[in-house]
Amino acid sequence: MSEPRATYSPLVRELFERLPHAGDLAPGPGTVVHGEVIALDRGAWVRYEARIEDGRVADCAFRAWGCPHTLAAAALVASRMHGRRIDADAVFDARRLATELDAPPEKLGRLLVVEDALSGMLARALALQST
Amino acid sequence: MPDGVPIYLDYAATAPLDPRVADLMSECLRDPALQGNPASTHAPGRTAAVRVESARGQVARLIGAQPETIVFTSGATESVNLAILGAARAAADGMRHVVTARTEHRAALDACRQLEREGFTVDWLKPGADGSVDPGRVAAALRPDTALVSLMHANNETGVINDIAAVGRICRERGLTFHVDAAQSAGKLPIDVEGTGAALLSFCAHKLGGPKGIGALYLRHRPRPALQPLQFGGGHERGLRAGTLATHQIVGFGLACELARLGLATEPARIRALRERLWTGLQAAAPVAQNGAAEPGLPGILNVRFPGVEGESLLFALEGSLAASSGSACSSATAEPSYVLRALGLSDLAAQASLRLSLGRDTTEEEVDRAARLLVVCVRRLRAALPAGAIEAIA
Repeated sequence: MSEPRATYSPLVRELFERLPHAGDLAPGPGTVVHGEVIALDRGAWVRYEARIEDGRVADCAFRAWGCPHTLAAAALVASRMHGRRIDADAVFDARRLATELDAPPEKLGRLLVVEDALSGMLARALALQST
Repeated sequence: MPDGVPIYLDYAATAPLDPRVADLMSECLRDPALQGNPASTHAPGRTAAVRVESARGQVARLIGAQPETIVFTSGATESVNLAILGAARAAADGMRHVVTARTEHRAALDACRQLEREGFTVDWLKPGADGSVDPGRVAAALRPDTALVSLMHANNETGVINDIAAVGRICRERGLTFHVDAAQSAGKLPIDVEGTGAALLSFCAHKLGGPKGIGALYLRHRPRPALQPLQFGGGHERGLRAGTLATHQIVGFGLACELARLGLATEPARIRALRERLWTGLQAAAPVAQNGAAEPGLPGILNVRFPGVEGESLLFALEGSLAASSGSACSSATAEPSYVLRALGLSDLAAQASLRLSLGRDTTEEEVDRAARLLVVCVRRLRAALPAGAIEAIA
């Protein structure tokens, strides 16, 4: 048994400390969509929820189980989703998240779970928009 | 506890050096009269040897042994290696079978794996659900060619105590060499080594407030088990452990043993009460469960799991506030779950949601209360961010 040896960047520390947008969406207008990936074997479980208004993300929240990098990544993405168009090109891919959070390579699998949960949610939002 | 210093609840990893031991070691290092090699026959050497032999007596008294049964080593890992490898290799021709348990410390596991590489057969016993090894299973595993039985007295992760007296009786009846790894229990529980039936018993200084880098192997006097040394050169320690004796380390070990022995009348009860207080305080973080049977257990070890909580995140949340050990075997790269907890039937995720809290000499009620409050806050915060169903899924 021992302490974890991973090192955490200042951004990971700050996000982990506050966990912005963790929990549930506040009540409000618009359509609520979600995306969830459960990958316990990879050490992560991430669920996003967003309220969509006029093709944009009016609010976004997450719930997650995982290491500090996973939680920080989930929080970072949720923070930046506000006001984004759901059909915007720029998505938060795992490699970019890993670079920004200075995550070690072995955490990439967990960050892919974050990316997949977000992609799932946006795909649902787009599908709803097209109907 | 000064501001900024984490609450230390990792005594099972190592106990802080007792200041009285540090003072004595420092004196010993500075005293011009103690600079000789204890193996030398001149006056400075003889003076150092007197101190070494006095400490040997203190170390022996801790386990109810005679001084001449104690061999100084560099620590419990070396003692365990010397006991297991030394006894197995010294066994008579054809005696190529060893019995141990899956929940032993890595020192014993790796020594036994080495024996397998050398052609020995090892029976790896599985503990019961309570974490202890049933003496009946030990008896059932014995074979005509069994050379050695090696078991730990108390588990370093769960604190669960094995009935070594019962295993010792079984071994004695059959004339088998029995090694006990007492690294966690020496100085925490009364040990009458003669009564255990152990031929060999390993322990060290740093778990009981002594310095790191010094340990001992008890070697029964009569009948004396055959033992092959692991290192050669100089014939120190009756040819069993070559190397110049480190006077200051040994003197520090001796005092640590003496202090631990004197504390045995009161410390186990005090620490057990603190552990119960901690456990009670943690109920506010329910669901919370204890890994391994609480009794019989070491007074100072509480291994708990918090369903739904990820181990690395919990330790990170506690960083700087509480020093404890996780249920993972180290790096975030592998985050390998504890093999001890897995052997108790816990899933990988449950093992990773576990924390070993170990209390000791300097632990206070105030620290225990603060640690419990801190853990409750961290666990609740992490759980507040969990997806629905995660607590049940990661139990």
